[in-house]
Amino acid sequence: MVDIVPLSSYPSYIDLLPSIQTCNITNLPENYFLKYYLYHALTWPQLSFVAVVRPKNGYKSGLGVGGAGAAGDISGQYPKVVGYVLAKMEEEPSDGLQHGHITSLSVMRTHRRLGIAERLMRMSQLAMAESHRANYVSLHVRVSNTAALRLYRDTLGFEVEKVESKYYADGEDAYAMHLNLQKHWLDWKAIEKRDRENEKAEGKGEDDENADEGDEVGELGKKEDGKTGEKMMKVKVGRGLGVGDLVERNESQQS
Amino acid sequence: MPQPLNSKDQALFRQVVRNFELKQYKKGIKTADQVLRKNPNHGDTQAMKALIMSHLGQLEEAFVLAKEALRNDMKSHICWHVYGLLYRQEKNYEEAIKAYRFALRLEPESQPIQRDLALLQAQMRDFQGYIQSRSAMLQARPGFRQNWTALAIAHHLSGDLEEAEKVLTTYEDTLKGTPAVADMEHSEACLYKNMIIAETGNLERALEHLEKVGYRCTDVLAVMEMKADYLLRLGRKSEAEEAYAALLDRNPENSVYYNGLIQAKGIPEGDHKALKALYDDWVEKNPRGDAARRIPLDFLEGDDFKQAADAYLQRMLKKGVPSLFANIKLLYSNPTKRDAVQTLVEGYVSGKSGSQQNGSAEGKDEFLASSYYFLAQHYNYHLSRNLPKAMENVDKAIELSPKTVEYQMTKARVWKHYGNSVKAAEEMEKARLLDEKDRYINSKAAKYQLRNNENDKALENMSKFTRNETVGGAMGDLHEMQCTWYLTEDGEAYLRQKKLGLALKRFHGVYNIFDTWQEDQFDFHSFSLRKGMIRAYVDMVRWEDRLREHPFYTRVALSAIKAYLLLNDQPDLAHGPTGLGVNGDAQDDAERKKALKKAKKEQQRLEKIEADKREARKAAAANAKTVDGEVKKEDTDPLGNDLVQTKDPLNDAMKFLTPLLALNSQNVEAQCLGFEVYIRRNKHLLALKCLSAAYAIDPSNPTLHLQLLRFRKTLDNLPEPLPAPSAEVVKAEFEKLLPKSQKLEEWNESFHTTNKDSVAHVQAALSARQLLNPDSKSQCEKDLLATLDSPQITMDEAAIAIDLLNKWGSDNTAYLQKANQKWPESSVFQLN
Repeated sequence: MVDIVPLSSYPSYIDLLPSIQTCNITNLPENYFLKYYLYHALTWPQLSFVAVVRPKNGYKSGLGVGGAGAAGDISGQYPKVVGYVLAKMEEEPSDGLQHGHITSLSVMRTHRRLGIAERLMRMSQLAMAESHRANYVSLHVRVSNTAALRLYRDTLGFEVEKVESKYYADGEDAYAMHLNLQKHWLDWKAIEKRDRENEKAEGKGEDDENADEGDEVGELGKKEDGKTGEKMMKVKVGRGLGVGDLVERNESQQS
Repeated sequence: MPQPLNSKDQALFRQVVRNFELKQYKKGIKTADQVLRKNPNHGDTQAMKALIMSHLGQLEEAFVLAKEALRNDMKSHICWHVYGLLYRQEKNYEEAIKAYRFALRLEPESQPIQRDLALLQAQMRDFQGYIQSRSAMLQARPGFRQNWTALAIAHHLSGDLEEAEKVLTTYEDTLKGTPAVADMEHSEACLYKNMIIAETGNLERALEHLEKVGYRCTDVLAVMEMKADYLLRLGRKSEAEEAYAALLDRNPENSVYYNGLIQAKGIPEGDHKALKALYDDWVEKNPRGDAARRIPLDFLEGDDFKQAADAYLQRMLKKGVPSLFANIKLLYSNPTKRDAVQTLVEGYVSGKSGSQQNGSAEGKDEFLASSYYFLAQHYNYHLSRNLPKAMENVDKAIELSPKTVEYQMTKARVWKHYGNSVKAAEEMEKARLLDEKDRYINSKAAKYQLRNNENDKALENMSKFTRNETVGGAMGDLHEMQCTWYLTEDGEAYLRQKKLGLALKRFHGVYNIFDTWQEDQFDFHSFSLRKGMIRAYVDMVRWEDRLREHPFYTRVALSAIKAYLLLNDQPDLAHGPTGLGVNGDAQDDAERKKALKKAKKEQQRLEKIEADKREARKAAAANAKTVDGEVKKEDTDPLGNDLVQTKDPLNDAMKFLTPLLALNSQNVEAQCLGFEVYIRRNKHLLALKCLSAAYAIDPSNPTLHLQLLRFRKTLDNLPEPLPAPSAEVVKAEFEKLLPKSQKLEEWNESFHTTNKDSVAHVQAALSARQLLNPDSKSQCEKDLLATLDSPQITMDEAAIAIDLLNKWGSDNTAYLQKANQKWPESSVFQLN
């Protein structure tokens, strides 16, 4: 029996990462360092999901910190991982539209035809729309992968945007596909209305200006008094990616 | 004393810094040299040059220069900072922290130094230091939310929940108005605060807080899960019920949510009717799902079970779901259910059952093939094993559908259970050829080849999906891509062949991957603060602290320790397999020398091959440009000869053992192996500690039984008594496990009688008897042979018996013959 669980929610199942990596390298030619999985889990913790085999007697309950997970807690029990979806938000969308992207999805051959991939995708799509207000989700699929194509196009409703020639390392072409997600967006107006009501009830929030102190998130990219800040590098696609290039700072000596 | 630079050189120096920041390393070195030509002892410039050199892979030279820089300018914070950065690159974090502290003392206002220090403190879990650093950073820049969050994290991780919450609240109070919904940093910070409140155990307050902030947090699923969990733990049943139903609406394929719902509804475990009705509800709401159909099979009994199982099995067989058996086999711990399933599916294939098969002939064939496939797996499974029937069924399935990879895979698995790794590997290779583009079946084929000790063939298969232009070829790529399963299997295959160098090489490969995974968290100490996803970050930090608890580590550590023990006991194996007996004892010394010479020659031959390969690759690399410009070092010891020629194998084993015992203390095999290492190192107290731990887990463990006796013998025959304090402890503690007054023969025979139905226990008792009374050898041999008549004996146990006979110096022919008759298909018990 297979359970679909979030990778990093409450309680956290982040200790499944090595097993997810093993699932990936067992099934697919496109592989990544563990750090790249960590990078997904820690940047977009809402978007990735895992399919695990439920152990014989279920999970023990309340293993989390302070007894969290009363109904059953998977962390620390290392069930077998038979599928996962690793997803992200596009960081620099070329069309300027906020959208999600499926980095990798796979289900063990022995666990196909159970609808696992579909369920993983639906969970991720919903989270992209809710958490990040993604306009759409995009992905690439091998033109020869008819089973996956059926899932994306027929079951989930993706459309082929274009063919990307020689997208894969072995020279195969990819379909670039996408699916609109706006119907899953949260009603922010309603939330803001509730905010205003709450503020009124608490007798604050009279300022017209919503002074947002948090707009400069971080010290990155800022130069101050000749001090050096940090540089964000673009992520390389495919191999050799890891957060190294993404977050490594250039150490400043000019303190 | 430092020399001041003239203004032109000062400008040049600033350029060096800029060059470094822009990663223009070569330019940077040139510019630095320009400054140094006129000011050869300028410490800061030397330091910057050293830092750049370290990024060009010249860490050693960089250290020399950085030390010189410090000599020239002890008072320069730049020199100290660089010194710390070099240590950090070398992963010597303690020295790095010291250097940063010096730098900070010289330049207390420096943010970069403070930040570098803080990151290392987080990495080293020096939370008190981290709190200090973070407080200073907050004071310097209170306008940044992440500085507040960081201080809260520091308190939280150090265990001070109250202070952590206070810091978050202080920041919140400075907010004018509610931040926008789109402000994810705020949304996460709210949930982080909620997580902290929940960890105090005050769930009432956590729930109240969640109600206040949850509606505007965009991580909707997290809020739902937190709420449901709090409600359930608070016993607020009807609300919890609603919360779990909402979670199931979102994802009906998560058994945890059903558990929550059932607990909330208070349905008693025995009320199968109510439970079934609940699951049926969800089948109706989600007809394509699996969980709600499958879970009731766990609790239903008798006719209810039969009915439900029939419906479930037929539905899945019609769909041809390959994981059906994997989904069902968990029920087999209940023999009635096991037999019921068997009867049902046998009924489908005989056509006698009520399986309503109408539809096309093609559909019927598919149903039939799926059913044969199911039966093949059923008869292959250890709780319902009948290998001839398994083979018969899988052949029928293959006949109906010769191209189905899963069927052919199962045939290989049947051979595996026959104990024939040769045939198993062959059949799995056939399965691979049915779908050469699928990596899953490729991985399986390679795994089966490794189980058959065909390391080269397996790598050849793996190389069809690896990047073979990587340094080190396919194997290099498998290391780089952190393919732990393969490295572990490969190492274990070498261990079976007694090629200890290569075995250790692979085990250390996996060890290093775990080191890398631990190292990986470093960047996130700063990255996650920028991203604001704090809960995930805190979860990661906690996970990293128990990283080596993972079963992948446990397995590789156990194997590595076995390899080191073997190397310690048979030092000749350092030169490769000698082909001698288990004890490495040959008939005479001349034979031993001959075998050793042969092994050494083989070792040299292999080394030469590797060296040639390396040269060839170097030549090829010189012509081709590296893709990403990174310089990757060629492994200078691909055969693991440096590892295997260690002077102190037991000390090396400690590297694997220490984390194993720390994080997996409940693993009885780990404790028993710990004993083996410690007893050989004459660490009697630690050896006893392992025995006590093993005893607490499983007092009648067979390995432990023999170890208790050996420990008693060791204590009785110490060349000199233990030092007084530890002698007392050992005596008192060991008395609890095996009292001194106990007559050992009696103790052993009683163990033997009590556990006479378990082959492993009988083997342990016989070994113990041998140890107590060497004259009992022929009786022991007879008794060991008799265990082959036990209906419980497994092939693995029989293989262990052969090792035992070798250890006793006995002739194993009779045993081999009998085992061969019992398992004629097996490749383990071949007579020469």
